[in-house]
Amino acid sequence: MTCLELQDAYELYALGVLEGGEKAEIDAHLARGCEDCRKGLADARAMNAALLSFVPEEYPSARLKRRVMEGIGVRHPGPWWGWMGALAAALMLIVALWLAVQERERTAELAAARRTLMQVDAERDRLTQALRFLSDPQTVPASFGKGPAAPPRGYVFLHPQLGVLLIASNLPAAGQGKAYEMWVIPKGGAPRPAGLFQSDGARAVHILNGPIDLATLGVVAVTVEPEAGSAAPTSQPIIAAPVGT
Amino acid sequence: MLLLRLLPVGLTFGVLQVVLRLADDADLVRRLKARDPKAMSDLYDRYGRLAYSLIHRVVRNPSAAEDLLQETFMRVWNRVGSFDAERGALGPWVLAVARNRAIDYLRSVDGRMQAGAVDLDRLEHPAQFSDIDNSALAIDRIRRLKSAFEKLTPNQRLVIELAYYEGMSQTEMAERLKQPLGTVKTWTRSALKILRDELGEAAIA
Repeated sequence: MTCLELQDAYELYALGVLEGGEKAEIDAHLARGCEDCRKGLADARAMNAALLSFVPEEYPSARLKRRVMEGIGVRHPGPWWGWMGALAAALMLIVALWLAVQERERTAELAAARRTLMQVDAERDRLTQALRFLSDPQTVPASFGKGPAAPPRGYVFLHPQLGVLLIASNLPAAGQGKAYEMWVIPKGGAPRPAGLFQSDGARAVHILNGPIDLATLGVVAVTVEPEAGSAAPTSQPIIAAPVGT
Repeated sequence: MLLLRLLPVGLTFGVLQVVLRLADDADLVRRLKARDPKAMSDLYDRYGRLAYSLIHRVVRNPSAAEDLLQETFMRVWNRVGSFDAERGALGPWVLAVARNRAIDYLRSVDGRMQAGAVDLDRLEHPAQFSDIDNSALAIDRIRRLKSAFEKLTPNQRLVIELAYYEGMSQTEMAERLKQPLGTVKTWTRSALKILRDELGEAAIA
């Protein structure tokens, strides 16, 4: 067969689907170096490539490229963005936890500072009031605990408008769940509650604010009571300061 | 009953990408021959989707298509040493390897080993792709081919599809279509002539 007769068979030959005599003829032409057939086949391969590109576009999975690269020995270190993402998430979690701990500590510190400030304020107020008692000429002093059987010692200052100032020393802590409660006891009357206070283990300052009737007041006393206080004394007084004696 | 599947005529994005990068193919081949792994990555980026689409069109099985695409790229990697960087056409070669892997798979699944089948291995040897027009996949050529394809009769399209995407010989087509071999040869020859003439590739006067 001539090259002209074979030209319609080049595409099928290049596709590998040509059979029989035509295939044998092209093989023979190529074997003897037929330039026309070689050129004709090159053109046929170009057209085949163009025709084979007419396919609907499909998308291989994202992992396929990694498989291909692994096929030639390129080990993929893994999805770096996945590791980076995990690392970033872990770092964010650590930062969040650290911030939470910091916030918690700061809140606790603030609360402690606030409590300290309140205590200082309360102490300052008490001392300010005590100074007012001590500096006012109307203040009447009364002492207690001078006897050998009464360890707590100190003074009570009475003021008709300011109230009662108690300054005690050698006064132990009231104990767990207990508090000291001051009482003002009119002459011939029942004890009236005059406020709860604690001792720092040695000293205590307590003030009952408000006017009192010095003329009828008989005794200022202190007992140990439940820390919520009592309406009437439930124990023997550990301080008893007679007024006007 | 034969299911008639017409070739799609739209131009794919993958083809456009290939066209834009043809000029870089020679350099890519040189790097592949130097066993540069980055070149393999570039080859995949350039032709992977198009080759996968072709294989998928033939085998119609995504999982098998992925295996065959991997086999295609391994074959290109292992044989690129014989490829002529200056005179070879990389895109047509990759597509030929991809198509042959898919047809080989199809034949094995069908248990269809045609008598006298041309050895696909020999037909995809890198030396076969020298002196091919580097613009084989150029956009204007593909447009003209598309135009020509639309002029084919349904029977002509069918035999083209059976040859290109199912790897059938004309004898097998005649059996499948229950048509005389001569009729199938006429359809095939006339279809290819229309396509070839449209491309102006009737080289031999």
